[in-house]
Amino acid sequence: MKAHTLLKPVHAFLLMVMLAFSGCSIGQAVQPWEKETLARHEMTFEGDPLETRYDEHIYSSKEGASGGAGVGGGGCGCN
Amino acid sequence: MKSVPTKKNHVIGAALFAAAMALPSYQPALAEAAPEKGVVAFKYLNYEDSQPNQDRIGVNAYSTSIMMPFAAKWSVSTSYTYDSVSGASPRRHDYFDAVAGASTMSEKRNAGDLNFTRYLDKGSITFGTSYSEESDYISRGYSLQRSFSTIDNNTTVTLGGSYNTDTINAWKKEVYGKSKKVYAGLIGVTKVLNKKDIVQINIGFSRGDGYFSDPYKEGEGGTLDPRPNVRNITTFLTRWNHHFDSSDGTARVSYRYYTDSYDISAHTLGVEYVQPLPYRLTITPAVRYSSQTAAFFYVPKASYNPLADPSKPYSYDERLSAFGALTLGVKVEKKIAADWTVDVKYEHYEQRAAWCMTGKGDTGLQPFRFRSIQLGISRQL
Repeated sequence: MKAHTLLKPVHAFLLMVMLAFSGCSIGQAVQPWEKETLARHEMTFEGDPLETRYDEHIYSSKEGASGGAGVGGGGCGCN
Repeated sequence: MKSVPTKKNHVIGAALFAAAMALPSYQPALAEAAPEKGVVAFKYLNYEDSQPNQDRIGVNAYSTSIMMPFAAKWSVSTSYTYDSVSGASPRRHDYFDAVAGASTMSEKRNAGDLNFTRYLDKGSITFGTSYSEESDYISRGYSLQRSFSTIDNNTTVTLGGSYNTDTINAWKKEVYGKSKKVYAGLIGVTKVLNKKDIVQINIGFSRGDGYFSDPYKEGEGGTLDPRPNVRNITTFLTRWNHHFDSSDGTARVSYRYYTDSYDISAHTLGVEYVQPLPYRLTITPAVRYSSQTAAFFYVPKASYNPLADPSKPYSYDERLSAFGALTLGVKVEKKIAADWTVDVKYEHYEQRAAWCMTGKGDTGLQPFRFRSIQLGISRQL
């Protein structure tokens, strides 16, 4: 069995902090009055919560890999 | 093929049982203000899987949810799921099925969750709890998620943690009162790149201790799917949404890298395109491809005699093998009134050992397919 460490949590935290404050916008910072398109439902990462739950749990019961989008979720006898 | 009745096996419906317990993965792209309106939604799922000339598991699931703002800076959300599952579990290796056959099962499940969110000037904090119960499995979950937004609300950092404690009471007495505990954490960044692009990166970790075996997958000499009692997982997920002014459509692309202490590593790519149409319709075609390597203790049935070394873990579970899988789907939504939306979604999934990126799939496994139909309706309150 190999060590599976993709990143240690502290390294991941530092990476995310760097990303958050990297200022890697394409062009200038977007102003509040310019966010009409970004506010559209399809531009969010939320999606349809019930649909997302169905989809994620179908895949988690049929594949060895799962998760990544959020923390938590109930345990079940399927995996 | 002989059919061996069992109380249950690993099934898709068991996962759906947990569906109602999923905690909110929503990470805001924009300012996170308390919602002005509530939402009530209902969704029905019909699922059928199959293998060549064999219909397998069928699932009917019903979920409902409601989210309501209150006290200006708070919201509460809750959901409930009921599902019923019946049929025959997937055939594993050709050799195994020639000997023992697949097992049949029937199960019903109930689950619910409750989440409270407090909205702050630049961020939010959410506490969630959940409970689910089936005849031989009880799960309780607790989570806490905190988000922080920058002054311009173009960047949000999310930190989350959760704890799940599960109890397994399989009908086999040697698997009664087993437990499993899973601790998980998440670090995420959501960033507005420009007026048409937004990106999100999440890194997740989890550590699980306890009973991870499937007591209904009986192996050689009566052994019950002996797996390691620790499973550590790391995930890297990135998502990118881009809006096209020319078509008024939106492309949504995601990629996930997964690795765990079982030695499974997986690459999953998803692409969907949301296209508004006349008559307040929206159509969303989608494609997903995933490829995974095998767990270090996965063994093709015909190639290994675990009794030669009983101290080693082993499993014939086809989900732990190397394979590739492709999903094609389409969703149609229609706004039927100012606050009402209905939707229907169809997906077809196929999993084959030959589609594994590494080319090392277990060729003894039969292709596996499912189709799912979701029907939904929601109303803003």
